[in-house]
Order: sequence, then structure tokens, then C-alpha cells
Amino acid sequence: MRKIDDIFPSLKLVPAIIIATIFAIVLELSGSWVTMLIAGILGSLFTRTSKRAFLVGFVGVAIAWTLLFAYLSFSASALEIADFFIGLLGLSGMGILVIVISVLLGALLGGFGGLLGRNAVQLIDEALHEPAKESAPQQQTT
Amino acid sequence: MKKRIISFCLSLVGPAVLIVLLTMPIGPLAGGLGIIQPIGGIFDVGFGARNPAAQTVKLPGLTAQVDVIIDQWGIPHIYGDTAEDAYMALGYLHAKDRLFQMVLQNYLASGRISEIVGSRGVSSDKFYRTIGLARSAQNTLDWCIAHQANPDIAYSLSVVDAEVQGVNAFIDSMSSAMTPIEFKILGFTPVHWTRLDIFIWSEMMAWGLSGGFEDFYRQWVRETIDNDTMYDELFPDVMPFDVPIVPEQTNLSLATYPDAPGGKPATPNPEGLVSQTMVDKAIIPNEKLDALMAVIEDVIRPFEEEMLGSNNWAVSGLRSATGEPILANDPHLGLQAPSLWYEAHIVVPGEIDVTGVTLPGLPGVILGHTAHIAWGFTNVGADVLDVFVEQLNPANSSTYMYNGQYRAFQVVDETIRVKGGSDVPFDVKISVHGPLIDSVVDTYGLDSDTGSNIAMNWTGSDVSTALLAISKLNRANDLQGYYDALYWWDSPPQNIIYADDAGNIAITVCGRFPIRSGYTGEYPVTALNDSIGMVSNIPYALIPRSVNPSQGYLQSANQKSIDFGSYGFKLLGPFDDGYRGRRIDHLLATNNNVTVDDMKQYQADSLEVRAEEIVPYVTYAWVSAGDVNTSIEQAVNWLDDWDYVMDTDIVAPTFWMYLRDAIHYEILDEVRSIDSALPLSRTPIIEKIIKDNNAYYLDDHTTNGTVETRNQILVRALHRALNDMIGDFGNDPANWVYGVHHRVFVDHLADFTYIGGGPHRGQNTLNAAGGWRVTHGPSWRMVADLSNIQMSYGVIPAGQSGNLFSPHWDDLFDLWYAFDEATQQYGYNLLYFYNTAEAFRAADTTNTMIERTVTFVP
Repeated sequence: MRKIDDIFPSLKLVPAIIIATIFAIVLELSGSWVTMLIAGILGSLFTRTSKRAFLVGFVGVAIAWTLLFAYLSFSASALEIADFFIGLLGLSGMGILVIVISVLLGALLGGFGGLLGRNAVQLIDEALHEPAKESAPQQQTT
Repeated sequence: MKKRIISFCLSLVGPAVLIVLLTMPIGPLAGGLGIIQPIGGIFDVGFGARNPAAQTVKLPGLTAQVDVIIDQWGIPHIYGDTAEDAYMALGYLHAKDRLFQMVLQNYLASGRISEIVGSRGVSSDKFYRTIGLARSAQNTLDWCIAHQANPDIAYSLSVVDAEVQGVNAFIDSMSSAMTPIEFKILGFTPVHWTRLDIFIWSEMMAWGLSGGFEDFYRQWVRETIDNDTMYDELFPDVMPFDVPIVPEQTNLSLATYPDAPGGKPATPNPEGLVSQTMVDKAIIPNEKLDALMAVIEDVIRPFEEEMLGSNNWAVSGLRSATGEPILANDPHLGLQAPSLWYEAHIVVPGEIDVTGVTLPGLPGVILGHTAHIAWGFTNVGADVLDVFVEQLNPANSSTYMYNGQYRAFQVVDETIRVKGGSDVPFDVKISVHGPLIDSVVDTYGLDSDTGSNIAMNWTGSDVSTALLAISKLNRANDLQGYYDALYWWDSPPQNIIYADDAGNIAITVCGRFPIRSGYTGEYPVTALNDSIGMVSNIPYALIPRSVNPSQGYLQSANQKSIDFGSYGFKLLGPFDDGYRGRRIDHLLATNNNVTVDDMKQYQADSLEVRAEEIVPYVTYAWVSAGDVNTSIEQAVNWLDDWDYVMDTDIVAPTFWMYLRDAIHYEILDEVRSIDSALPLSRTPIIEKIIKDNNAYYLDDHTTNGTVETRNQILVRALHRALNDMIGDFGNDPANWVYGVHHRVFVDHLADFTYIGGGPHRGQNTLNAAGGWRVTHGPSWRMVADLSNIQMSYGVIPAGQSGNLFSPHWDDLFDLWYAFDEATQQYGYNLLYFYNTAEAFRAADTTNTMIERTVTFVP
């Protein structure tokens, strides 16, 4: 059985971010913010370090949500809705802040998803392909 | 490997923290921060605010296609083949435009608001569970089912079912874009609508308009003053100077209409039935009374009318420029967004052609016109709720004395479910008179000697057939149809004005008015047997009614219904101050050529009759006094130059507001010296004291050895008013201008936002706008021209849509609010009235009348 990291190539940062962005846009259309974790995980498949995986998920989802908000501002009164929402918290006229916070939260979801994905890949790859190394010393001690 | 496992576990922390953060309720945002994602959260509603030019919607249960034209104001014109089909479409549209409002209002009425807002709603829920609107609604529904052999009742039930089906079809198809943003913020998912929900909201309408606890208020004032003569002089239910609603009584045939409205028992000759011996008032301890009044004060009442009331009037052909009747109506209720009302036009060929305002969730036009008749409501304000203090068994407070024996209270389990919390157990006890309302006060019932014992006997608690009346009125086309429909209008009592294209005008003070035996109904009493209580009702045939009076016009503004001296029955008030009634009576009596434009001007009329009647005495007092004071001189100049219109760009109306309070204060030292919390009577009483030059009340009894004159007291009031105004608003005259402080706010139902906020004309005037922050007023303005029904007008103070981001959220408010100085009118939308969709389309030659279409298909 091949390692996961052997299946998905390691890409440079920009292509990996683009992939994460595409996944984030498609998954967000489902209407569930939890899927941004999945977008980050999928983006992390094309990286090899935790730092890079976080960055790909974070930036990829941030770009995706920024693009979606840009579209929503033109087509569905997003700024007006954001102004209304922030008004509930007593901060009238600062609707853009809602969008910034939203993008930040989405980016964090993507980033942590990337981190989770990378660590999961490394754990799985190691668990499936290096069992002997891990189990031998344990047997010696008993 | 171990390191990998630790790294993996650590990488789970971030997502876990974020998931908690995004789902955790934050203050009012019970839906959590996750709702601010771009898709699937609050931003979707922006799409929901936009509608395609032509839409086809599948509506299971329809028998045939229903065509709906949505006009430029978002008002649906529904063309169906059957009533059921048309009302199913109406139900769908109600839900599409107002689902949050419908759910919130119904949960409030049924005592379930805690299921939406959490523990903040528990005290409100206890109150509504206690008064039992949901129990009454269930009784009404059960009665309708039991009597559905009657074709009218069967018809009503069928349109109720159609409305429910339509609402549920929308709920079932509701996408994220169509889900009201309020549900997303509150984290609430609506469930299916039921038949019962329809009746619950109808009960809420009855409660809001006829459910006041006037008995408590009367007892508190009377006991605090402790002077019956003074109480009777200063706090009567009927005000001096007012013009009764019914100028000439018209009775109907008792043979045709033997019962009271709603088919309730009636007595044409109550003398033999009523006990002439009056039981004593039952004194409720002040502590308990205060606690109860505080709870009642706190409860949200969507239909609450302040003392401002409502207006309706009609002129016959004798007084109209067209030679045919013209009718006007503007019911004054709490201004809310979305509006209480939803405009709609419903057409079923050969059966229904009716337009006007509906209540979202109810199948029928409550106020409006058909092809041949028009009608409108004002509240009667009659006291139809009595308080009975049950005599508890000293050995067992769960029983009470009635008809010579102790009876057990019925106990109803009304456990309250609380969102995010545990259930709150709550029992409601019910006596033969009604539910014990003091169960809402937590401090009682703890020891067996002081258990709950104050029962509420309200006519609205009984089965109500008001929906049946509406369904008949919507299909009426002549005076007989009006009589037949109103026979079923039992609650809440309304002054229902009428005009038709056959030249008739009429008004009926309509509702179930109880005949009381052994007590007056004004104060709490203890009724130990069935000879004391509401023993019967005034027959429908004999309730106050006027048809085609010789004066050529009819008007009502919540004042006394009829000259009670010449009327054989008693209606208990309190009735309105009567100033609006006096004003419209004057305007109509002095115009023999009334036009639709005149009617619109009358609805915008902002002349303060109170000021017109009292201010001349004040300015005369100042001139007579001959004092020198430039500040007061300036204030008197404002009054001298004033035409008594409460305009927004002058100071005189502001000063009048302070002057009125000051006059009450200076004259009624007799009341305020007893208890500063007591109300200082009502302005018509003050007007009478001034006009009669009543030496007793005009004298300030707190000044020993000095007798003050009317002029001295009124000059003192001038000083007090100016000092108070400067104390509140400072020395800058620019800040004294009326419109700086008198502003209108149409608050969102959940207080998320508001519409308006600008300067507003009026006060206690025909254009009702009481207080400084105006939150009550005309909830619907309508002028119906019976000479050409297609040229009739209406407007609501918000918009058709409950979606805050829809162009129809507040577009009608802009009309309602904009006062045209040139025409002296507010704006209206023309009530497009075409009896086929084809005729409507053909009339829209400019492509401005029709916004879009919806086709409902089976």
C-alpha cells in the first residue's frame, strides 16, 4: 500500500493555496462552515510540513470567503446585512468588521484543518508503513 | 510514533475550540457565530429578498392553478378558482413574507416564548398560560368542529385548513435563503403550523383589545383617594363634552337575531334577571395588587392600544361630493416592524372579491372593502373583564366557596419549556369564574392561608366566533350581509363602520356585552353564588347601532358608544377622552361636500382640540394678571400665534405638552397631595373644571388661608411649564422645537432594529401620535370611495415583507410618513382592485403597477 504522501505530490505554495481555495468555495456552497476543515485537510495533502499546511488552509479559505463575500456584496446586500448584524452588538456602521471576522474565522478553520490533515497524514503514513520499528523495542522490554 | 500521536492530538485542539466558538450562543445570538459564514448563514437572506419576475410554485393540495400578481408595493392579488385554493396561496405568502412574525406572536400568545428566547420569557409565559389564550383557542376549535354541520362554520374551518396547508407548504420548502434572519440569529427552527395556531392568534387579538384589568386600577385609585365624591368627579368612565358614536339608535328584529353576538344567550329585558342588591367590593391587599399590576404592566401586548385609540368615519351621499358614501378608517395600535397587518386582495369568481389588511396567519381580510361594501374598526374599550375574589376554604386553600359548598379548583398543568434550560413546572388554578391570575405572582401561594384566589372572568375566554364573522364579511355585498356577518362578531367589542354602493352607511358597537347581576363590574367582588356575575348579554338586535342617520355621517374614535341616559342597557367603560371624536364630528358636520382628499386630510389632521379648548383661558389669565416677565411673555406669544396644529417646526406644541401637565398639576393639588403616584385625572375633567370655574378644585388647598382663582392657577401653570421645559431641554430655543423630540419609531418585533426615527406631527389628535417617542399610531389608513371602489386607498406603516433587506421592508412606511404640506395629506397606495389577473395586466399600461407574478400549481 502506497503512502498518502506518495499519492499526492508536494506542490509549491501558490498552487497548493489555489487548490485549497477551489475546495473551500465548492464545499462552502453546501452551507456548512465545518467543511472548511475539510478544505484545509485537502489542501494539506499537497504540502509536507505542518507550517505550510496551516498556511495553505488559512490563506486558501481566506481567499475563498473573500471572493464569496465580494460576490455577495454585489448580488445579495452582504454589506447591508453585515451592518445590521454588527448593529445588534451596538457597533453600527462597522459591518465590514463582520466580514473581516467571518473571513478570519473561516481562515482559522482552514488553517487548523490543514494542520489536522498534515498530522493525520503523517500519523497514518507512519502507522501503516513503519510498524516494525515502533513495535520491536516494546517487545524487547517485556 | 508517539510524537506523531501527540502532534495529531494537539492538532485537534484548534478545530475543537473553533467548533465550540462558532456554535456557542453569544448573548442574543443564540445561533452562534457560525451564522456569519458567507453561505448558509445570515448572508443568504440577501438572496431571499430578491424574487424572479415570474415564479411557479408547487402547492400540494390545490385543486387548480392559482395566479398571483404581486404589485409594485409587494401586495399580492390572489386569483383562485375556489376559496380553499385562494387561502392556501395566502397562507403560503403569509409565511413567505412574515413567518418569523407569525411564529413569535403565536409563541407569545400561547405562553411558549421561552422556547425561543430562553428563560427571559418565563414570566411572560406564566402570564399568558394563566389567562389561557391557548385553552380558549382550543375550546373555539373544538366548538367549530362540533358545529361544522353549519355550512358557514364548515366554510370557516375549510379556509383555516387551507391557510394552514399553505403555511406548511412554505415551511417544508424553506431554503436557507428564505429562512428569516431572526430564526438564524436566535437559532430557532420553526415547526408546522396547526389549526390551533390560527385560533390562538385570533384570541390574542381579542385579548389585546379587550383584556384590560381596569378593576384593579379603579380599586387602587379609589382606595388611595379614599373620598368617593372626589373619585366620582375626577375619575368617571365617561368623559364630559364627548359626542356619542351612535346618534340615532337602530334596532334589528329580535325574531331574526334573538341571541347575543356569537349566538351567546341574550336578554332583551334584564330587569327580572338581575339582582338589584349589590355585593360589597372585595378589597385586595395593596401589596398583592401592586405585585399583580407590576406583572401585568411588564407583559408584552402586541395589540395594545394606548388611550389614543382609533378612528373611523363615513359620510353618506348627503354629505359627499360624489353623492355616494366615502369611508375612512385608521386603527391606532403599536407600530411594529414587520407591520401587524399584511395587505392582500383575494378573488374567487362569484364568491370573493375582497381587499384590505389581513393578520399574517389568519385567513381573511380584517379591514377593507369588497366590490360593493367597505368597513373599518375602532376599539370600543368596554370593560368586559371582571375580577372575582374567591373565598378560600380556611382548612384547604385548594377549594373555594360557591353556591353553599366548597369546590375544588380545576388545576391545569402548564409546564413551561425553556430553551437551553430545564422545564419550569407551572400550574394554573381555575374557578367557576375563570383562571386565578394571581398565580403569576411568585410571592403568593406559599402558605395555605394566602393561596391564589383572584379569578379573571373575561368574555373573551369563551368560544369566539370572530373568524366566522370575518369570513362572512369578506363575502358580503350589502347591508343585510353586514348584519348577518356581524351577528357572529362577539369578541373583542369593536365599533364597526360600514358603507356601501347602494348609499347606506352604518355603525355597530359590536360584541358581546355582558349583563351583570349583583355587582357593577367596576371593582373586584366576591361572588358566593350564581346570582352574582355575568348572567346574560345584550341581544345583537339591540346593541348600539346606527343606520343611515339623518345627519348624513357617522364617526367613532373610542368615545362613549351612545347616550346611556336613553339606552336601555349599560356598557362599562372607560371610554376615550373624546377629543378626536369631537374633532372629526366638527369636521364632518361642517362639510357638505366631502371628497376623498378631504378624508385623507382628516386622517392627517393634527389639531390639538385640548389646546384649542384650554389655551385661550391660559392666555386670558396672563393678560388679566398684568405681570411683567419677558420669558412668560414670550411663551404666551407662542400660544397666541399658534393655530393648535402639532407641527414639527415650531415651539408652541412643545410648550403645550408641558403646559398641559402643569395645568393638571396646579389644579389637582387635592389628588397629588394624597399620593404622587396617583394619575391627575383626565384632560376633559380639567377642561370642565376650568370652563365651570370650579372654585373647589381651582383653589390650592395646600396654601392655608388663601383662596386661589382660576387665573392665578393658570398663570402658575405657565411658570411651571416653562421651568419644566427649560429643565428638560435647556436654554437653547432651537432645542424646544417640537420635531426635535417628537419622533416616530417603528421598532422591530425582536428589537433588532427600527424604521423611521424622524420628526412626526400630531399628538392626541386625529393623526394619533402620543408621547415624545411615538411608537403607537395609525397601523392602517384606508379611504374607500364607494362611488368608484377602484379609487380606494390604504397604507401600512412599514412594508409587506418581513425580510429586512427586501425593498418592501419599509417602502410603505415612506408613504405613511411623508406629509405633503401642499395637499395636507400623508401618502397612500392605491388599492388596485381588478377582478381578474387579465384585467390587472391590461391596466398596467405603464409597466409600473405589477412587480412580478407567482403561479401556484397543484
